[in-house]
Amino acid sequence: MTPSDSDSTGAVLETDGLDLWYGSQQALRSVTFAVPALQVTALIGPSGCGKSTLLRCFNRMNDLVEGCRVEGRIEYRGDEIHRPGFDVVDLRRRIGMVFQKPNPFPMSIYDNVAYGPRVHGETDRDRLNECVERSLRQAALWDEVQDRLGDSALGLSGGQQQRLCIARTLAVEPDVILMDEPCSALDPIATAKIEDLIDALKQRYTVIIVTHNMQQAARVSDWTGFMYLGRLVEFGRTSQVFEAPHEELTERYITGRFG
Amino acid sequence: MPTTVTSVTSPLHLPRAHAPARREQAFSFLWFACALMAVVTVGFILASLVIEGLPAFNDTGVLRFVLGDTWNPTFDPPSYGILPLLVGTLLVTLGAMAISVPLSLGAAIYLAELAPARVREVVRPAVELLAGIPSVVYGFFGLVVLVEWLRVTLSVPSGESVLAGSILLGIMSLPTILSVSEDALFAVGRDLREGSLALGATRWQTISQVVVPAALPGISAAVILGMGRAIGETMAVLMVTGNAAVIPEPLFNILSPVRTLTGTLGIEMGEVAIGSPHYHALFAVATVLLAVTLVVNLGATALLSRLNAAAAGRSMSSTPGRLVASLFSTRVLLGLAAGIVALVAGSTWGLIPALGVLSVSAVLSVATGRLSRRQSEAIAFALFRVAVVVVLLVLALILFDIVSKGLPAISWEFLAGTPKDLGRGGGIFPAIFGTLCLVAGSIAFALPIGVGAAIHLVEYRSEGRVTRAIRSGVDLLNGTPSIVFGLFGFSFLVLHLNLGVSMLAGQLTLGLMVLPTIIRTAEEALRNVPQSLREGSLALGATRWQTISRVVLPTAAAGIVTGTILSIGRAAGETAPILFTAVVFSQRQLPGSLFEPVMALPYHLFVLSTTVPGSDLNRYGTALVLILVVCGIYAVAIAVRNRFSTTMRL
Repeated sequence: MTPSDSDSTGAVLETDGLDLWYGSQQALRSVTFAVPALQVTALIGPSGCGKSTLLRCFNRMNDLVEGCRVEGRIEYRGDEIHRPGFDVVDLRRRIGMVFQKPNPFPMSIYDNVAYGPRVHGETDRDRLNECVERSLRQAALWDEVQDRLGDSALGLSGGQQQRLCIARTLAVEPDVILMDEPCSALDPIATAKIEDLIDALKQRYTVIIVTHNMQQAARVSDWTGFMYLGRLVEFGRTSQVFEAPHEELTERYITGRFG
Repeated sequence: MPTTVTSVTSPLHLPRAHAPARREQAFSFLWFACALMAVVTVGFILASLVIEGLPAFNDTGVLRFVLGDTWNPTFDPPSYGILPLLVGTLLVTLGAMAISVPLSLGAAIYLAELAPARVREVVRPAVELLAGIPSVVYGFFGLVVLVEWLRVTLSVPSGESVLAGSILLGIMSLPTILSVSEDALFAVGRDLREGSLALGATRWQTISQVVVPAALPGISAAVILGMGRAIGETMAVLMVTGNAAVIPEPLFNILSPVRTLTGTLGIEMGEVAIGSPHYHALFAVATVLLAVTLVVNLGATALLSRLNAAAAGRSMSSTPGRLVASLFSTRVLLGLAAGIVALVAGSTWGLIPALGVLSVSAVLSVATGRLSRRQSEAIAFALFRVAVVVVLLVLALILFDIVSKGLPAISWEFLAGTPKDLGRGGGIFPAIFGTLCLVAGSIAFALPIGVGAAIHLVEYRSEGRVTRAIRSGVDLLNGTPSIVFGLFGFSFLVLHLNLGVSMLAGQLTLGLMVLPTIIRTAEEALRNVPQSLREGSLALGATRWQTISRVVLPTAAAGIVTGTILSIGRAAGETAPILFTAVVFSQRQLPGSLFEPVMALPYHLFVLSTTVPGSDLNRYGTALVLILVVCGIYAVAIAVRNRFSTTMRL
């Protein structure tokens, strides 16, 4: 499916009164907002504010954390993702994720990208080849690796590994891409490449990015959410949040007076 | 430390309390000597086997010795062909692997990937218990329960067979394969799992396509380690395989009796005339046995280093990983499970049900082609759960049998008395005493040397040729079958050094056997001490030895103690090394000196169950006491580990 044929103006993901606990500690407090389609949304805030936790709610990655409990609603395209019988595996196919640290599988470059299509049942060699090339091109990695697709992915540089992980995510043709501080382990040149990439991705995908770096948020995003102590303090157009924040807390954070 | 604080305030008045450089050197040399012991021992073992075995190789010719199809040393003229023994070892080992690899991998995957924490807390100690049961107790259980059950259910004249040996060895190698591969699975990074799940792969796809291939080096090492254990095992095999030196006819007749290399040594070494051709032939057998285990271990090391290099990603051809991933499909799993069920069904109820099971599984395996991802995940996970249940059932069965039949035998008289009427009546106190003495002596010998060697390897390492030689010496020693230690002890300590069959000879033999365990655990414990602690101490002007003795060793104490206690447990349960070096079956008085022979619990159980009819109650009583002693020691080890790991958290 191509995401553009669904309603590109509405929200892809919506939360309503979302609370989350790790054991007895509350990490999210009544988070309510909607993620606009085909835009880049940035989540910013000091360490431990819950932005990564919120991100991991959208593809239910927090299911893997022992003692994690969620209350409130999260809807993906109008469907409550915690309802009984909801297909979480399919959700994760539609909502891809790029992690903070590049995590290529210990396989060849080709197999890393082909992994997703393969687990979803694709066996046709030509179609796999085509998909691998397309994904690597989209991730701006093709030119660097096209003549060594059979080499181990672990031999790539950090920035290349991260772009490979992005290519791997693109290969399953997701609807939304979650990025959890994707540049925090990279040098400035690699970071610039990923940022360019994010800009290109929003033509076809909805991107949510968690970042520590406020300049990065300002550069790449259309919308920005500021989180503090598990609450979503402010959410709006990036230009508005950065230039004319409604909340004093946001302003103090953005101007560097705390955090 | 208040003294340090005060002296820091007035550094100029610090006396130069440094140990002289010469003392530092002396220590460094001492640890090097300890480490060298491992290599020297390996050298002595090899030399004594080869020297004693050489006449047999010369007389018979290496080729005729290895490929000769008749082993009949007491016939006239005697013939020394070990092909039947090699085939016996091979068949029993393969059978054991066929049983334990699927079971232990299934259980390992369940424990590492699926089990809730509460289940894991129950199953882990159970597996450790399974590992702690001495091999002679397995042999005893095999003889009185398994062999008998096979005889009745299959209605054959005797249940002593390849099948019995395989089942027993399968159970015995299970804990090794299970725990090592579980560790390997556990070590696979969480980020890889999340990466796969985030792409919409199912848990089963993630496990089979990413986690298992990534853990492959560890898993193959686990299987090979288990195989090494099976090849080198003596007592249990000896007690259940029937020991007829024949090649089964046809080869896959799993109900035929066989005799293994180790079994031959265990049976014949005690009765052979020293210096006779037969004696030399047995040493030649031991040489072959050592060579086989050596090849297996070297194979493991080579495989591991190659796979590790591949995983490190220099130029990985992804074939092994992909191969495993494709092998590891639900379809293959199902086929494997069906094969095992068919085998069991076939041997228990005859051919027709077996064919039935096979045809059903064929249909199923065609059907898996059409299964959804969810369905194949459900099937695979169900199979893993079955594997865990089987493992737990086996343990419960063994323990229940021994505890329920052994408890009536336990009384004050049994524990404190001496044996009467060939062990049918009376007590086992001399055996308990002897076992304690043997263990104490062996640890007193092995602990200082082992820790010293570990200190050399970790703290004074300069990864040169010598260190590498020492490390491979330790590896080699670790892979040496216990019966080979027994033979070495007999030829070198008992005969050559003229110690006679004595407590001392037994202590030294057992000490050599546990030496690699102590070295390895101590090495690991020392390595786990953070480098920053050493640097902190050295930066204060402490010498190397001061740093080691005051900072490193205390920090590593918990690990060293745990390793030592595990070695104690192993030494207490072993039979093969003391068989010809230290034990007698019956003894009126307790030994008065180190140069007298002793009784020992494992040997007592062995003799009672193989040669004293009508001693059922005391057999079970002895088995129970032996299990209690060994498991008691392990329980202490676990308690120590837990205590230290909470108080010494860094």
